[in-house]
Amino acid sequence: MTPGRIYLDNCITSMPAPEVLEAMRPYFEEKFWFPGTFISTGESTNETIEAFKASIAASIHAKGQELHFTSGGTLANNMAIKGLANAYAAQGKHLIVSVVDYPDLLTNAAYLEKSGFDVSYLSADSEGFINLAELKQAIRKDTILFMTTAVNHVVGTIQPLQEIKAILQAADHKIYYHVDAGQAFGKIPIDVNDLGVDTMAISAHKIHGPQGIGALYLRSGTKLTQLIHGVARIDNYQTGGLSIALIAGFAKAVELIWSDFTGNTSRLRAMSDYLLESLEKQIPHIELNGPRGIKRAPHNINVSIDFIEGEAITMMLDTMGITVATGSACASQGLKANYVLMALGKNHVQSHGSMKFTLSRYTTKEQIDETVAALTGIAAELRARSPLYASMIKEK
Amino acid sequence: MQYSQKVLDHFMHPHNVGKMENPDAVATEGSPACGDQVTVYLKVDKDSHVIEDIKFLSYGCASNIATASIITDLAKGKNLEAAKQISWRDAMEALDGLPPVKVHCSVLAADTLQTAISNYEIANGLKEVPNFSKDTITEELKKIIYPKVGEDIVSLKMVKYVGFNNGEVLIDMNMMNFDQWRENVAEEIREHLEKYPEVKNIKINFP
Repeated sequence: MTPGRIYLDNCITSMPAPEVLEAMRPYFEEKFWFPGTFISTGESTNETIEAFKASIAASIHAKGQELHFTSGGTLANNMAIKGLANAYAAQGKHLIVSVVDYPDLLTNAAYLEKSGFDVSYLSADSEGFINLAELKQAIRKDTILFMTTAVNHVVGTIQPLQEIKAILQAADHKIYYHVDAGQAFGKIPIDVNDLGVDTMAISAHKIHGPQGIGALYLRSGTKLTQLIHGVARIDNYQTGGLSIALIAGFAKAVELIWSDFTGNTSRLRAMSDYLLESLEKQIPHIELNGPRGIKRAPHNINVSIDFIEGEAITMMLDTMGITVATGSACASQGLKANYVLMALGKNHVQSHGSMKFTLSRYTTKEQIDETVAALTGIAAELRARSPLYASMIKEK
Repeated sequence: MQYSQKVLDHFMHPHNVGKMENPDAVATEGSPACGDQVTVYLKVDKDSHVIEDIKFLSYGCASNIATASIITDLAKGKNLEAAKQISWRDAMEALDGLPPVKVHCSVLAADTLQTAISNYEIANGLKEVPNFSKDTITEELKKIIYPKVGEDIVSLKMVKYVGFNNGEVLIDMNMMNFDQWRENVAEEIREHLEKYPEVKNIKINFP
């Protein structure tokens, strides 16, 4: 990373840990072989992959053979959603998702809708929790799949996965349960058996692993139609080439977090709490988006700064060497206000003025102090230019 | 595409920013809902009609602030007739260009300047309140930028037909149904026309 840059956009991607780069090196330089049989190079790779798979799978309490490597979370989501929908279409063609889910889920739902499936879209409350009463009502005889985003990618809301399981299991037929754990993996404890999920998508680069690798958890006995056909190096769900080095890096990233999971996540939460406290203390007219406290993922703080616009804020922070994200329409390619914030009942100004900070293991207290100080100055300067602020002052 | 150095300079250190006490004319365009709003204040010499001072306030993104800043630079010291010729294209050029999705920001700043001038002229008996007509609609459509290429929808021949009858505006658009900007353009059209009390209903047809 650029020396001195403060990077607070870790929900998009995070810096690979130095230990991860070190763990990958031998598999680029020397042991780069693809899996194979009978010859020593291939056999040794078979064993290495099995071992890495088992250790990654253990982090979500799954078995090694239930894990299939992908290029990232999006491929895993596609394999699961399209795979389940098509495999069980004979039993029904109704799916349930919510309006605040990750784009992977919503774009797949839209695609399947065009292909003849029926989709119910659940609403969310003002903190981003999906409406469970609506879920109960939405379940029909032909419902085959419910999918959700374990931790909301915008406001960090942790969905009540246990309560959802209970509702799905109370139905008089099997409803498959897919979870996108892109933001949850490494941030909150996940036990796939306890949660009763059938498929789950995870990725390495959001937990200081390498970019370009993720995994699909597929419960033993659950069928998917195959999405990508080709040579089966490991199994039919994982066709084509693969990178043993990336797998090694993924396993290392997992090891680094799970060697002290509670310590790592508590530290993140303490840092996020400190950030929020500082922001609320130093910047007037600021509002937290999403839940406060333990129902929120430990790495996410999302606030709306009144009377000013987020693209201008992120640009100014950028010139000061600080990377953050905004939900402003002006910063989006489609010039649209953030759909999650709008679904939470926020107005356009709150969405345009929203700032998302996502912290990592490498975020320090000093970096937070520097960021808050910079933002305090920027907020004051942009407010001095803002007609909305001027009219607010006048009304007062 | 990134911002030019000129845009960044005007964004970081805008000229003529701030509220003006006792202006001779003022105008506000845009809305917080669209994510950008600009207010322009004018001080005009009564005899020479020269814009002696100009200030702006802006709620919006970097290009919004930068274009408002450059527009005030362009207008300052000009007489009203010359200032009326300042268009969003002049602002763009003076800023060494803008990314296509940001061109609409320059339109807002230029538009606000023109409204402030018009408000001054009406208040000082230099012109009549213009009648609303089909031409008003066409003029408004010229201010709507197709974000993909950064040109207005009239120049791009995306407007096939404009009609106005008994408060109802009818616009036929030439935009394919797979065009991701259809909704965005329709929304912009509504925002530009809804501010006229003469407009009771807007119908936009796509093929």
